[in-house]
Amino acid sequence: MFTRFHFFQTFVFILMMLLGLGLFQTQVFRGSYYYELSKRNRVRLIPLEAPRGRVLDQKERLLAANRPSYNVIAIPEDITPEVYPRLSKLLGMPEKEVRRRMSAGREYPFAPAVIREDIPQELAFLIEERRPELPGVSVRVAGIRYYPYGETASHVIGYIGAISPREYDGMDRDRFGMSSQIGRAGIERAFDDDLRGWRGGQQIEVDARGQRVRILSDRKPEAGSDITLTLDLEFQKKIMDMVKGLHASIAVLDLETEGLLALASAPAYDPNIFVSPSSSEQRLHVLKDGNSPMLDRGINAAYPPGSIFKLVTALAALDLGKITPQTRFRCAGSFKLAPKSKPVRCWLHEGHGSLNLYEALERSCNVYFLNLAKKLTPDEIAHYAHELGLGEPLRLEISRVAPGLIPDLAWKKARFNLPWYQGETLNMAIGQGYLLVTPVEILRLTSIIAKNGKVVEPHLVVQDGTAMPETARVAIREENLGAIKKAMLQVVESDYGTGQLARVDFDKLAGKTGTAQAPPQKAHSWMTGFFPYKNPKIAFVVFVEHGGSGGITSARLVKQMLEAWRDLHVAPVA
Amino acid sequence: MLRRWLNGIHFPLFFSVVALAAIGILFIYSASYRDPGNYEAKQVFWILMGLAVLIGVPFIGYRPFLSISYPFYIFTLILLVLVDFFGSKVLGAQRWLTLGPIAIQPSEFAKVGALLAGVNFLGSHHPWEGQTRTVSVALLLLAVPLFLIVKQPDLGTALLFIPMSIVMLFLWGVRKRFLIAGLSALVLATPLVWGFLKAYQKKRLMVFLNPSLDPLGSGYTALQSKIAVGSGGFWGKGYLAGTQTQLHFVPEHHTDFIFCVIGEELGFLGSLLVLCLYGFLFHSIFLIMQHTTDVKAKMLCGGVLALLFSHVVINVGMTIGLMPIAGVPLPLVSYGGSSFIMTCLCLGLVLSVYKERSIF
Repeated sequence: MFTRFHFFQTFVFILMMLLGLGLFQTQVFRGSYYYELSKRNRVRLIPLEAPRGRVLDQKERLLAANRPSYNVIAIPEDITPEVYPRLSKLLGMPEKEVRRRMSAGREYPFAPAVIREDIPQELAFLIEERRPELPGVSVRVAGIRYYPYGETASHVIGYIGAISPREYDGMDRDRFGMSSQIGRAGIERAFDDDLRGWRGGQQIEVDARGQRVRILSDRKPEAGSDITLTLDLEFQKKIMDMVKGLHASIAVLDLETEGLLALASAPAYDPNIFVSPSSSEQRLHVLKDGNSPMLDRGINAAYPPGSIFKLVTALAALDLGKITPQTRFRCAGSFKLAPKSKPVRCWLHEGHGSLNLYEALERSCNVYFLNLAKKLTPDEIAHYAHELGLGEPLRLEISRVAPGLIPDLAWKKARFNLPWYQGETLNMAIGQGYLLVTPVEILRLTSIIAKNGKVVEPHLVVQDGTAMPETARVAIREENLGAIKKAMLQVVESDYGTGQLARVDFDKLAGKTGTAQAPPQKAHSWMTGFFPYKNPKIAFVVFVEHGGSGGITSARLVKQMLEAWRDLHVAPVA
Repeated sequence: MLRRWLNGIHFPLFFSVVALAAIGILFIYSASYRDPGNYEAKQVFWILMGLAVLIGVPFIGYRPFLSISYPFYIFTLILLVLVDFFGSKVLGAQRWLTLGPIAIQPSEFAKVGALLAGVNFLGSHHPWEGQTRTVSVALLLLAVPLFLIVKQPDLGTALLFIPMSIVMLFLWGVRKRFLIAGLSALVLATPLVWGFLKAYQKKRLMVFLNPSLDPLGSGYTALQSKIAVGSGGFWGKGYLAGTQTQLHFVPEHHTDFIFCVIGEELGFLGSLLVLCLYGFLFHSIFLIMQHTTDVKAKMLCGGVLALLFSHVVINVGMTIGLMPIAGVPLPLVSYGGSSFIMTCLCLGLVLSVYKERSIF
């Protein structure tokens, strides 16, 4: 009887026999063919790197592109010993270095090793001419990253660098080769996956002299996709010129698209030095520079906001019903928390006299806001700061962290294990003390005010129309935001305003200055605002590290920036 | 005493294990003597351990193993979950669990755990009573480790669960319509599984169907391993004289691709010898199966056989392009402690079935 057992047995042995037949076919039938292929290893694998996607500005101008580079490559298996001295002389590098590069790790045997990248064209031709005496050596043209505008938007675009062997181990071979480049900062890092294409390759069969007989299989590399930014290159360039020599950051947001028109940080660096291996000295120089040109001061550095923060204090007091815009306090030049405590001075020592909220913001009177601090708890102020996006992570593509700090009772307890003193609330209300914010956080705050409470998330990469959902509003009453906007208008347009120097003649500007104490050095200078006052088109923040008074250093920069913006974006009146 | 002990050993089976292990040492040496690592010396240690297991298990008998099968099954599941959290990543897959100086591969244990639990569960239920329920529970029992292994991801090992489960159910006496329904469900589930696969796994399968799709990655490996095996011809290039594998054209040549070394250096004759040794091993297991009346023992032997058989077919098949590239070792030959000891444990269970054979 043919049982299940027999069925199983028959199945196993039939399959074993098929396997034997398969081996017979491969080893005996086609054996000599494979033997020929194996004799001098007749199959060569030529990897073809995919061109990296480009980075463009909003008008399709190239911010990061590829240029051809001549690379000297060699297949170490085909090299004869006398090649080393010849090659080292031609390339002007020590023979030891040539040998080291030749024996560096490779993906597979007979894979070409890169001896030298990006050699001058004349040298490339010379090597091609002398190929007969350089067996195994050849010159190959490959794409190399190129940043046409150098420092202009270096913090946004970022740079690339060679992949490390450890990273390579965990990567998909179709996307990364051993000498592939990978984004290390900025857009290059955040969008590496999109910019990177798919590697291709050819399997070719060669004869005994290494000449190609035929292509066994071929796959074309697929270029990476391009990334279009919201930046306006011309505007960014002008802004970079304005902050040259300063330690500063300027960010400008298009309020309609919520995309950043400019995001500048100075000093900057030239990302090209990270591409070419020959500029390692420049790289070291940049990395060791005490001015930290690698630091993006707009998003990765946090500073005390100074008087800018009065916007938050005012909104908290208004929205909690502690004051109305007409509530008056008297400034006599100093303020005492209690009859016996040490007086805190207003920046205007002779005093501002009696002020309402508009006037207090316009003149940035400290005493007015110290009076407000008496009515508020630190947690209330912190709540409104968070509501306006301070200390909250950005959704900006190149940085999603929140390096800013908004202190509150719980924070102080966890950090210092100490209770909160009321004096610290006073400091907080005028933007000093533990408070730290990044310039782009302030930009977001101003944008939210400018858009009457709509939550704004600055971004850098142009998004499809569908990816812009109707976002939420902040929980602050619109009339209170309106009052703040009116006060911000007075800051610039009133003859008592601290931001008068930023005034432009073509439309009305609303803003707020800040001068944040940073002893023992000069104070940090701030100014933020939106323009024009009616139907705002842009919001901006200007920050100058140790720049002194906000109403002077930053306000002047704001004026220049607005004029540059007008020249580029507003059609000239005929 | 000695006589009784000797009676308990099925010599043809024992002989094929030793012969395959010896071939393993020879070719692990050939594949790796140029590299540091002393793999052959380590493998000698594993083989001695394995042989001790092989001889030791019949003393205990297979029944105690079945009676602890559920706790053991749970234990292997825990290991699989642990590997998900603490496992070390090799080439993007989390398969290894490091315990001090040794690294173990929980999926190897899970295979045995699932086999024992499945056999014990099915064997305790009669196929004529409530088959629907029994089969569904058994399938669930097998599906849990399968899912965890696919998740690692270790597609090769996961695939080995399927023939093992089918054979177990088949020998237990599952109704033909269940079998047919199950197989068609498997075919229908393929697109679903496809979506679940990692990009590199999809690629391997696509490349298997069309090798020119990926000349750089697995297509290259597939071609090079075929060249290695094929270039051995009828007689082979001689021991230690293989050029393809020695020059590292084929990766992992002391583990998953060891058959390339054998095929290249010993040619068709050597490959056939290895295949015949496996045939002999399978035949011995079939003989042992025939002489047992215990359903559980029969299923146990069948499951072990299916497991080893599918290992051999996938491993040898992939070196000559009949199967997609999958990380499946050649049992008893490939370098690796977990695999060797677990194979010996399985064969030890088969030997203990032999020891308790009916003498009629």
